[in-house]
Amino acid sequence: MTAPVSMAGARTVRYRTMTWVWRAVAVVFGMIIVFPVYWMVQSSFEPNGDITSLKPNFFPVNFTLHDFVDAVNHTAGVGQAYFWDDARNSLVVVSVATLVTLIFGFLAAAAISRFRLVGTTAFLVMILVIQMVPGTALIIPLFLLLNNLHLTDNYLGLILAYSASTLPFTIWALKGFVGAVPYELEEAAMVDGASRFGAFRRILLPLLLPGIISAGIFAFITAWNDFLVADVIMQQNYHQTLPVWLFSFTTNTGTDYGGLMAGCTIMSLPVVIFFLLVQRRIVSGLTAGAVKG
Amino acid sequence: MAVPTMPDLAPVRTGRANVQAPSYGRQASGPSWRRSIRRQLLPIVLVLPALGLLGLMVFYPLGRLVATSFQELGPFQLISHKVVWDGLANYRSLFTSTDLGTSVFQTFLFVIACVGLTMGIGTGVALLLGRIGKFFRTAVTICMLFAWAMPTSAASIVWTWLFQTEYGVVNYILTTLGGNFDNHNWFSGTFPAYSIIVANIVWGAIPFVALMMYSAFSLVPRELYEAAAVDGASPATTFLRVTLPMVRPIFVLLTVLSIIWDANVFNQVWYLTQGNAQLLNVIPLGVWQYIEAFSSNDYGLGAAVAVLMILLLVAVTGYYIRIMVRTGQVRAELRA
Repeated sequence: MTAPVSMAGARTVRYRTMTWVWRAVAVVFGMIIVFPVYWMVQSSFEPNGDITSLKPNFFPVNFTLHDFVDAVNHTAGVGQAYFWDDARNSLVVVSVATLVTLIFGFLAAAAISRFRLVGTTAFLVMILVIQMVPGTALIIPLFLLLNNLHLTDNYLGLILAYSASTLPFTIWALKGFVGAVPYELEEAAMVDGASRFGAFRRILLPLLLPGIISAGIFAFITAWNDFLVADVIMQQNYHQTLPVWLFSFTTNTGTDYGGLMAGCTIMSLPVVIFFLLVQRRIVSGLTAGAVKG
Repeated sequence: MAVPTMPDLAPVRTGRANVQAPSYGRQASGPSWRRSIRRQLLPIVLVLPALGLLGLMVFYPLGRLVATSFQELGPFQLISHKVVWDGLANYRSLFTSTDLGTSVFQTFLFVIACVGLTMGIGTGVALLLGRIGKFFRTAVTICMLFAWAMPTSAASIVWTWLFQTEYGVVNYILTTLGGNFDNHNWFSGTFPAYSIIVANIVWGAIPFVALMMYSAFSLVPRELYEAAAVDGASPATTFLRVTLPMVRPIFVLLTVLSIIWDANVFNQVWYLTQGNAQLLNVIPLGVWQYIEAFSSNDYGLGAAVAVLMILLLVAVTGYYIRIMVRTGQVRAELRA
């Protein structure tokens, strides 16, 4: 080999070595970041004896589903198991709230991006500022308001709260998706005799469906995760949602970690599945909106 | 999926529309003033449901929060529906409280630690993702998606289990690696306990920041790098002068969002400190006002803490929001 070639070769070798160093770093990082999730699932398939042993297994050697039965039948020290009640509450409240926020959000996003309306910028700034208002700060007046309206311990109160708290982000995301659909399509439909609203319904809505689905799943996850509002507004055990159920679980039996981890797994499962389905669109949609300027 | 193919169709349709221009008649019927009112009315009708909901569930409560902070409101007033104004009494007791200074200071420390670590590690991971090839990138991304998707309530409980005193796997691993962590209680001191809370929050926030930053890095046009290379810029200079200015808007946006989110963290602190009175002595403001209101039944004082928290947040992030409005990010896709 002649000198110049070997110099270039040395550089390539160094570049390759660095790539492998970065890959090693990335693998370690990936393992650390996924470990808590792995450990949750692992623990939920282990019998209690194995979980509370001084030398933990890194695989469920004695695989069992017993923890899940424990979790579902757990009585939280009040003599009755509330899992199915609370799971149903979570599903009903969160689904209806997602539907409401999507309908309201779609209408508002269409109006913002399709009409030259006075105060649009003010409306968008308002939405951004609303996101700054802490959910924890609003919990006191929200409780007082729903208390006056006799909507505590009531699905409707929680649905209203979740729709409102997810609406700003939904409008923001849908606005980006609407902006990506060329206006000429609706124009063409209107020229062919469709009304303005008909053009929304027949042209814009079907094209937006993927965007609406991802925004909906995002709203669903946000509402599904809430602990605070449900805890304050819903006072009866059988009116509560899964995050509150999970919390009552811990306070009364600190030792049943198998059941507890099974409960966590049950709660996380729908979210994780939904999430893997839509994450790509959410990330690209958000960055497109933010970078374009 | 259908969206990207649409621009190809559009010119064809509009072309035909021009030919059929006379059939536009349906819109043109009626006097012009009525048409213009109708045109103005529809968008307002479309925005109304959203505005109504936000008005009822956000703006009214916000006003009520400020009002409540000037009232004496306990269980008695709540049941009797009596409004008792007591001026600045809540604020007076708030500012004379020995807890206030500590709590504000702790909140600042807490938020700075969370945001600094999240943005630092997140940006580092984003850069890392750019140089490990497609296979490794996909693998790491999937790992991050799992962490991102975990509900905070479940994640917080899992973290208490990881750091559990007798059977926690972290103690086991650290002991195996040569440390003496047998039966080590992480939640006995405030510093280690809050370190775990911060780690939990940062762990959950990194994936979002890393993926957004990676996306931002890959959106920087290739030509800029080529131009920099032609001008003989070193990799470090290229990064400082080309990459950073290009990703700055999204970095600022993510920082502002992180500040807001981390200042509002409730679940992680609440779950991880539960049943530990000692740890609750140094709580972030958000949790403190909750305890004032719902454990001590002093809604007025709780509201005063909440108002203070909002003012602090606005003061810290207002500057950045103004930059974002000025650089046009808020107006993003407005069709002119």
